[in-house]
Amino acid sequence: MKTSRHTGQWIRRAYIVLAVLAFLSGILFLAVSVVQDLRRLESARSDNVQWTLSQSEVEFLEFSKQLNATEPGSAADLAMVRQRFDVFYSRIATLETASVYRTLLGNEDYSQALASVRRFLDTTVPFIDADDPALNAALPTILENTDLTRAAVRRLANSSLNSFAASADQRRSEFAQTLVKLAVAVILLFLALGLTVYNLRRLNKQKTRQQKATAETAARMDTIIQTSLDGVIVANEEGRILAFNAAAENIFGHAAKDVIGKSLGPLIVPDHMIEAHDAGMARMKAGGEKRVVGQGRVQLEAKHSNGNLFPVELAIQSAETEQGKIFIAFLRDISMRVAAEKALIEARDQALAADRLKSEFLTIMSHEIRTPLNGLLGNLSLLQDTKLNAQQLRYINNMETSGDLLRQHVTDVLDLSRYDVGHSEMREVPMNLAPFVQSIVDSQSGMAAKNNTTIEWDWLGSPHNWVLCDPDALQHVLMNLVGNAVKFTRDGSVSITLETENATDEQADFIFSVGDTGMGIADELKARIFDDFVTGSVAYDRNVGGTGLGLGIVRRSVSAMGGQISVESKPQAGSTFEVRLRLKKTDPVVHERPKPKAPLAVASLRVLIVEDNEINCAVAREMLRSQGHTTAEVHDGAAAVASAQDQVFDLILMDISMPVMDGRSATRKIRNGNGPNARTPIVALTANAMAKEQAAFLADGMNGVLVKPLSRTALQDVIQDLVADVEAPEGNAVENAHQNEMREVLGATAYGKLRDGFISEVEKLHSWLRIDDLRDLPDLAARCHKIAGSAAVFGAAHYREALIAVENAANSGQVESVKSTLGALEPVWTETKANL
Amino acid sequence: MLSFLRPFAILASVSILLASNASAQSTTSPTGDAVLIVTGAVDQTPTVFDLEMLMALDATVIETTTIWTEGDQVFQGVALNVLLDALGVTEGTLLAKAINDYTVEIPVSDAVPGGPIIAYKLNDATMSVRDKGPLWVVYPYDSSPEYRSEVIYSRSIWQLDRIEVVE
Repeated sequence: MKTSRHTGQWIRRAYIVLAVLAFLSGILFLAVSVVQDLRRLESARSDNVQWTLSQSEVEFLEFSKQLNATEPGSAADLAMVRQRFDVFYSRIATLETASVYRTLLGNEDYSQALASVRRFLDTTVPFIDADDPALNAALPTILENTDLTRAAVRRLANSSLNSFAASADQRRSEFAQTLVKLAVAVILLFLALGLTVYNLRRLNKQKTRQQKATAETAARMDTIIQTSLDGVIVANEEGRILAFNAAAENIFGHAAKDVIGKSLGPLIVPDHMIEAHDAGMARMKAGGEKRVVGQGRVQLEAKHSNGNLFPVELAIQSAETEQGKIFIAFLRDISMRVAAEKALIEARDQALAADRLKSEFLTIMSHEIRTPLNGLLGNLSLLQDTKLNAQQLRYINNMETSGDLLRQHVTDVLDLSRYDVGHSEMREVPMNLAPFVQSIVDSQSGMAAKNNTTIEWDWLGSPHNWVLCDPDALQHVLMNLVGNAVKFTRDGSVSITLETENATDEQADFIFSVGDTGMGIADELKARIFDDFVTGSVAYDRNVGGTGLGLGIVRRSVSAMGGQISVESKPQAGSTFEVRLRLKKTDPVVHERPKPKAPLAVASLRVLIVEDNEINCAVAREMLRSQGHTTAEVHDGAAAVASAQDQVFDLILMDISMPVMDGRSATRKIRNGNGPNARTPIVALTANAMAKEQAAFLADGMNGVLVKPLSRTALQDVIQDLVADVEAPEGNAVENAHQNEMREVLGATAYGKLRDGFISEVEKLHSWLRIDDLRDLPDLAARCHKIAGSAAVFGAAHYREALIAVENAANSGQVESVKSTLGALEPVWTETKANL
Repeated sequence: MLSFLRPFAILASVSILLASNASAQSTTSPTGDAVLIVTGAVDQTPTVFDLEMLMALDATVIETTTIWTEGDQVFQGVALNVLLDALGVTEGTLLAKAINDYTVEIPVSDAVPGGPIIAYKLNDATMSVRDKGPLWVVYPYDSSPEYRSEVIYSRSIWQLDRIEVVE
């Protein structure tokens, strides 16, 4: 920009100079031609031609006059005749030979006249040159010839007049033109000079203004720099200090007058950085990379005049000046800030460390508490099977209730600390929401019925059942919310709704809403309901309450799944918890037909228990024996491999962490060996229920996972799933034992009411099925699943199985098999209904 | 040194010439036809020259073109300043007259070394009246533009036969 303005000025100046030169040379040229013209006018190379021509006539007349005046015989007169002739002759000879008259020969009149005069001269010369008597005798002839020639001489003088006049005119007008041109050129030159003067004046004014502005700017900049709170140091390319403001004096403890002109490096750069500083300056001077200049804020160490080092934050920019490149640095002493940051970071690190320590402590303690607790509960369970009187049984039941609660609390704390330590990892597996939610409803329906509360679920809008999600996490969340809803609702209803928003082909926002008509949540509690250790202040029975960790864990789970949770509530009117998750949709996955879970008769199995903990081992042994199985025990993986080599087992329960060889290695050995148990089902026994690790166990060749503490039901389920030959159940379509239990728990009236509800629900399904055209199979599956859950409550195992068969067929999308399974539904229901 | 001495040398030679001419004039009178009569403010009035007398004075040759002739011409004659020196004329004006009484004024200041001559020979031959003779005032036209003006041309009188020196 500066350079282009310079260039522009130079070009303009060059134009002006060129123009002036052009005008000057034009004027010079014109002046030269004027001078030449003047000289031509003044120096008559032409002589006075007209005078000469008229003179020739005069001389001819004088000759003629002398002839007439000559006395015959007078020698003097004859001499005069000769002289006059000679003079005339010489004049004519001049006209003939002189260059100036040559041009006249082009005039025909003139040349003819000259020719006749020449003839006259040639005729007369012999008479003139003769002696006096001869001349005397010839005088009359000469006189006669002279009279004849007079006209020719006259013509000679006049003929050229016109052409001379014309050429004189032309010369005059040429001269006049030259003068006019000269005048014009002079005027133009004046104009050009005037323009130049104007321009120069303008430039001068501009320059003056610029200088003034520059001076003002400089003064202003100086003021700014001097009053700046940041230190400002200006240095040149050699690193010599050019300016050092008051703040810089303060920061570095140098007086400006002492440091101006000195080298920057040794004054403010710490000794250990001098080399880097010098290298940087050299690099920049060579046009290399700039690591500090123009890089914005940079934090470096600086040196005070007293030698102390302190941290500074600085920004350096370079600028081009007439004296070369300069560097302007703005610096700030950030000792205080750095110290504060350091203190803050230390405090934070300490806090984090303490928190982590706390979490670790919690985890360890929970583990340590849970292991003996498992033993306690296991033995309590075994104690129940022994012969006891009614009082002992009540005490044991009380102990079991307290033990379960304690275990639940320990598990909660463990879960919580696990999330906090960051061990939560979410899986994405295809799952069907309909049976999933149904199973949750099923699990809570007993409790709900106890509280005389109805529980139901449904889709709002069109259902999207198949999604990718972590079933364990989702189950934990929903189970917690539904469990709370049921827990806090008496004589009301709990409803679970599923809904999607912002649905695309790939994904949607799934809203799981759990509403109840229970006691509600007070406003002051609502705000912190998802905090840890929050419990409702009113607990109207012993079963309500807890550690207050449940919703805290739910919140952690939801956020680990990338979702949000919120609550709407009115005290005494009910609460609605809403979980919002963005889930990917997926295609239906056909599952293997699940085996019925109802307790079925199983043949006696030979089970190998691999467990290093004595008590856990004893619990498992007793549970298996009580179910009629035989057991063998080893206490480490290596022993398990050895045993499996010798004996045949129907099932192996394998602890994971053991001395000598862990459960996973043992499993791999057994599976890869050619022993008799290479195909035997192996089930992991673990306290570590992490989804990822469970998958790893399965990859090792295990067939299932049992989470410690071992429960009788879970053990039974595993045995049935993996080992037992499933036999068709004998006897009643409705298991009377279960039914009676229900009736006992609920009371006859409540049971009757629920049973009627169940029957009408089923009848409704059947009438719907009669008109259904099997277009919406997922919907069919969901309806069957829902009623299957209810059937389970009433112990209607046959009917439940039939419903599950329909559900599975519907889920697999095979219309033919749906039709055939549907066919079996009616007859089973008829039988079931009769037994309810 | 030399250039410094030149005026003295010329002065010396002129004084020698003056001395010799003065003695020649006092002893010589025209023997042939008079070709030039000088009248007016001169020491001896009138001074009559014949061709021989003029030729006896130091001769000067001018080689030049003229507007009245064609090609280079070689004129020989007596330089006007030499003649005027011989006559003792130092200032004034010369009225030069031709045989047909044509008269021009020639200032004495024109008579300088290297200036006009009164020519009596053209190309080594004396000139007849028909050839603008016998005497012709000729300036060295080619030597300087100063000698190519109308005034000079008008002073180049031919068929000269009288000179009157006026103050």
